Amino acid sequence: MSYVAARGGEQAIEQSERLYRERLGTIDATRVDAIARSLPWLVDRIMGEASLYAPRLAALALAQSGGDLYEAVLLLRAWRTTQPRLAVAEPLRQDKLFTHRRISAAFKDIPGGQILGPTLDYSHRILRTDILDGAGLEPEPVEMSPEPAPPHQPSLASWQKAQGLVVDFERQDVPKQDIPDLTREPLLFPAGRAHRLQSLARADTGGLMALGYAVMRGYGPSHPTVNELRLVEADVEISHPRGTVFSAGRVRVSQAEVASKAGAETIDLGFCATLGWNEVKIIAGGTLDLNEPHATKGSPFEEEFFLSHTEPVEGAGFCQHFKLPHYVTFQSTLDAMRDARRKQAEMASQAAAEEPAE
Amino acid sequence: MTIDCEQTEHRRLLETLACSEAGRVKGFAEKLLPELGAVEVLKSRSGLVMLPMRDTVRGTDFHLGEVLVAEAHVKLADAEGYGMVVGRDLEHAMAMALIDAAAFAGLARERIGAFVEAEATIIAETDRQTLRAIEATRVEMETVG
Repeated sequence: MSYVAARGGEQAIEQSERLYRERLGTIDATRVDAIARSLPWLVDRIMGEASLYAPRLAALALAQSGGDLYEAVLLLRAWRTTQPRLAVAEPLRQDKLFTHRRISAAFKDIPGGQILGPTLDYSHRILRTDILDGAGLEPEPVEMSPEPAPPHQPSLASWQKAQGLVVDFERQDVPKQDIPDLTREPLLFPAGRAHRLQSLARADTGGLMALGYAVMRGYGPSHPTVNELRLVEADVEISHPRGTVFSAGRVRVSQAEVASKAGAETIDLGFCATLGWNEVKIIAGGTLDLNEPHATKGSPFEEEFFLSHTEPVEGAGFCQHFKLPHYVTFQSTLDAMRDARRKQAEMASQAAAEEPAE
Repeated sequence: MTIDCEQTEHRRLLETLACSEAGRVKGFAEKLLPELGAVEVLKSRSGLVMLPMRDTVRGTDFHLGEVLVAEAHVKLADAEGYGMVVGRDLEHAMAMALIDAAAFAGLARERIGAFVEAEATIIAETDRQTLRAIEATRVEMETVG
């Protein structure tokens, strides 16, 4: 048995691509802008999973893929490889983030207070079918507060560390150029914390949600509570050739600290952050980070398990590849099956022949 | 002027130009262009900036992902200028670099100062309005019972 090369199907492939694109219709800048404007949460989700902050390109990827999220992430990840890396920005610090939303489910009175920001958490979800009948849905304007919210807030964990409620781990300073980088190094296990958090930041939202949810339902030891959840805009600070550090603009970032209810003397925390605003992803990711120290081999919250199985391009690509021709492999399985049947039949007929006559 | 003070002023110039509405920055740079003399473009390209973040639990710096940016680097007779903006607007980055170069060369000092001041005011006011809307969502909690 050996591999064989097969040819054919060029015409069918060409027409199938045309059929796919025909169904999407004409894609132009107007459609891309409409996607960027009307689907900001989806655009954010794609950017986080693609690990590339570029809202207009993410909208373009969604337009080109007709909303197939894995296809869109693949397009962005592939495009990213065509671009040079120009710099590494200054690491984001929580007390410099322009905060739109900051809540805690663990502590009612957090320093700086709870700011709901843009959310539907406390709203009825009703599908407005009247819109299909011609009604418009004009949003009610926000009744502005006379005074602005403080733009920056320290992390809740830093306050808890000062209170002795959370262990203040000694940190190692790593020059920003030397921060481990999964785009240039393989993910090996046990993973360093920088690799784990980068991998979570790039992970598939649905994958993290499924595994995080398994842990929340009881397959993990620590039931999570959101210690702090934030949606922010972060300055991308880079160095001018003359040395001045400045912000080249802001990007949306979400981050969550997830606390264990089961702490004895101190509160254990897990952490997750991602590009774009995506709350389910960071709560699930923080829950997995929180539970990982107690993981048994092969459990959903074991680092190797959840990091290996939530990489969207690898996972989707592996699923997709099973559609591609496996004729040789399958033929070999069939041959083995037929061979086994033949041998079984031979043995049966031999046994019948050897059976003494009555 | 001390180095710190110069850097603070330079930072304000760069951040204001990067965060202002691109059309106005381009328009202002175009008006300055005839006064700049020969301009050599050293860089005009898009690329990526890796964005790290510090984890609040263990203090570990890790990479969140990359940000698409546009970059420009120009040289005048006596000065160089640099621009970088989030996004892929190469003209915005180029306009920023030209204004930066002009400021470093000491050209059109008052006009640049006035432009930056006006733009910084717009940015601050926009942020203020955003934060007023955010403040409206602050929760005042009471414990019942």
